[in-house]
Amino acid sequence: MKLNNVYIDDTFAEAFSMKATRIIITAMNLKWAYRAANAIRGFASSVIACGCEADIEKELKPSETPDGRPGISVMIFAMSTKDLEKQVPMRVGQSVMTTVTTACFSGLQTKEKISLGKSLRFFGDGYQIAKVINGKRFWRIPVMHGEFICEESTGITKAIGGGNFLVLGKTARHALTACEKAVDEIQKVSGVITAFPGGVVGSGSKIGSKYDFLTASTNEAYCPTLKGQVKSALTAEIGSVLEIVIDGIDEKSISKAMRIGIEAACSFGPSKGIYRISAGNYGGNLGKHLFHLRKLFK
Amino acid sequence: MNALTFTLITQPKFTLDVSPLIPDNLEGKNITHIKNIKLRHGKEIVKLEKLFLIKGKNSNHVCIEKSCDKLIRIGKRMTKGLIDVKGNAGDFLGQEMKNGKINVSGDAGSWVGNRMIDGRININGNIGDYVGAGLPGDPYGMTNGLINIKGNAGDRVGDRMRRGIIVIQGKSGDYCGNRIHAGTIIALDRVGKHPGDGMRRGTIVLAKKPKHISATFKSCGNLKMEFLRLLFTQLIKMDPDFEIFKKYGPIAHRFSGDLARNGKGEILILQLINRR
Repeated sequence: MKLNNVYIDDTFAEAFSMKATRIIITAMNLKWAYRAANAIRGFASSVIACGCEADIEKELKPSETPDGRPGISVMIFAMSTKDLEKQVPMRVGQSVMTTVTTACFSGLQTKEKISLGKSLRFFGDGYQIAKVINGKRFWRIPVMHGEFICEESTGITKAIGGGNFLVLGKTARHALTACEKAVDEIQKVSGVITAFPGGVVGSGSKIGSKYDFLTASTNEAYCPTLKGQVKSALTAEIGSVLEIVIDGIDEKSISKAMRIGIEAACSFGPSKGIYRISAGNYGGNLGKHLFHLRKLFK
Repeated sequence: MNALTFTLITQPKFTLDVSPLIPDNLEGKNITHIKNIKLRHGKEIVKLEKLFLIKGKNSNHVCIEKSCDKLIRIGKRMTKGLIDVKGNAGDFLGQEMKNGKINVSGDAGSWVGNRMIDGRININGNIGDYVGAGLPGDPYGMTNGLINIKGNAGDRVGDRMRRGIIVIQGKSGDYCGNRIHAGTIIALDRVGKHPGDGMRRGTIVLAKKPKHISATFKSCGNLKMEFLRLLFTQLIKMDPDFEIFKKYGPIAHRFSGDLARNGKGEILILQLINRR
C-alpha cells in the first residue's frame, strides 16, 4: 500500500493499557498558564524512567474553564492508578502551585478519582479553606502571591499508551520536517497527546537489552548506522528514522491521530525525502492494543 | 406531563403542615390515595381533599397554587423532583431537604432551608429570619445546597450553617452570617448590624459596605480574590439568574475574623468592575 507514493508497511503499532487524567491549568494569562503546563510536562516523556507521560492537550478559552480565565488542558498518563496518584499531586504541587497566579482544576469527570487539592491543601498549614460550589469541592490555599485554588480531586480513566508510527526518510532533516507537520495535525485531535519533546522521538527503543539492568534499549533494526552490522529493517536510501508516539484515552482517538499524522507525513512524498512509514511492532510482547497501519485507511 | 397540582380551597385558619406533599411521598399513588393523605392543621388531623383541589399526574413536579404563609414545612426531606409554590410559603420551607428544587413565587417565612442537606431553593420575594440555620439544639444549620432569595432576608442569615451557598439579592437583617461554621453567604444589598458575628470559618460576600463591622474583624486590605472569580463563574454556569455577578470583579476588601472565636472566616466587600 502506498500513500502519495510513500510505502506503508504491512505491520502494526503495539500499544499498552494505561490510566489517564486530564487537568485544567488556568492563570492570569496564557503566558503563565503555559509556564505551568510546560513545567508539569517536563521530564514526562516516557514511563520507562519518568513515572508518567504528560503533555499539553489544548488551549482553552475563558468560557471553557471553571474560573473564567484562560487555561490549558494537560493530559497525564501512567501505568497504574497508583502511579498517577503519586505523580499528579507531586507535579501539580511543584510545577503549578509554584507558578504565579495559577489555579488547577479537574478536566475529567469520572467516578474513579485521584486526589489533587486533597493532598496539596496541607501546604496551607491549617489556613486552607474548602469551598463546595456546584457539587464540586475546591481548596483555597493561601500562598504568597494570593491564593492557589485547586479542585479536590480529578477523574481518571482507562487509556492507551504507545500508539506510534515511524517516519523513514532520506536524512534527519527530511524526516523531522514531515514529523513536525504530523505532530501539528495530531495536536488538533482531542483526547490524545504526544508526550516526547516536540512530539517526536529521536531514539525509539525496543523491549529489553543485553544488559540485565535495562528494560529498554536502542531499536537497532531501525538505526541507520547499524545497516550491514545487524538484521536491519532499513533499505539503502533511508538515512534517518523518527518515531511519533501517541497516548490517548481510547482506541478511536489514537487511530484517528495516527491516520491524520501519517497522512500529514506522507504529504511530503519521496521527492521530499520521505520513503516509508512503519510502526513499532514488538511481536505482541508489549501490549494488547494493535493498530494495523493499513487498516487505518480502510 | 402535567404537574400534580394542589390548589388551596380556602385560607387555613391555623398552620397547615404540608410536609407529606413531596415527590418522594406521592410517587406511584393514585388520586384516591392522595386525597386521603392526612395533614396536621393546627391541633387537628384533616384529609387533604378537604383543603385542596387536586389535578394533574406528574408526581415528580408538584405545584401548590394559592399558597399562603400558613403552609409550613413545604418540601420537608424531599430528595428529588420539583415543587412550585404559587404564592407565599410559611416557615420551615425546604426543611432537611436532601435534593430537588423548590421555587416560591412569593414570600417565605422564617427558617427557610433549616438543616438543608442539599438541593436548591429559589424565592422570588422576601423571607423571614434564620434562613439556612439550625434549630436550637441542632449541631449545624444547612450542610449543602443553594438558597437564592431575590427579595430581602430577615435577621441571622445562615446561623450556624456548615456548608452551602445563600444568595440574598435584596437587603439582609442584623447578624448576617451569625456563628457560621463554614459555607458562603452573598448579600447584594445592605446588611444590618454585626455581620459575621461569632463566625468560625466561611465567607460572607457583601456588595455594599456595612455600616458597622465588629472590632474583632481585622482588615487585610484590598485584594484580588481569584476565588470570587471561580465562585461567580460557577454560579453563572448553574443559573442564568446569576448573571448579576458579571458586574463584580475579583477585587474585594477582605476582613478576617471573627477573632473573638479564633475565627478563620472572612468578610469580602466587593467592588464593581469599572468598565470604561
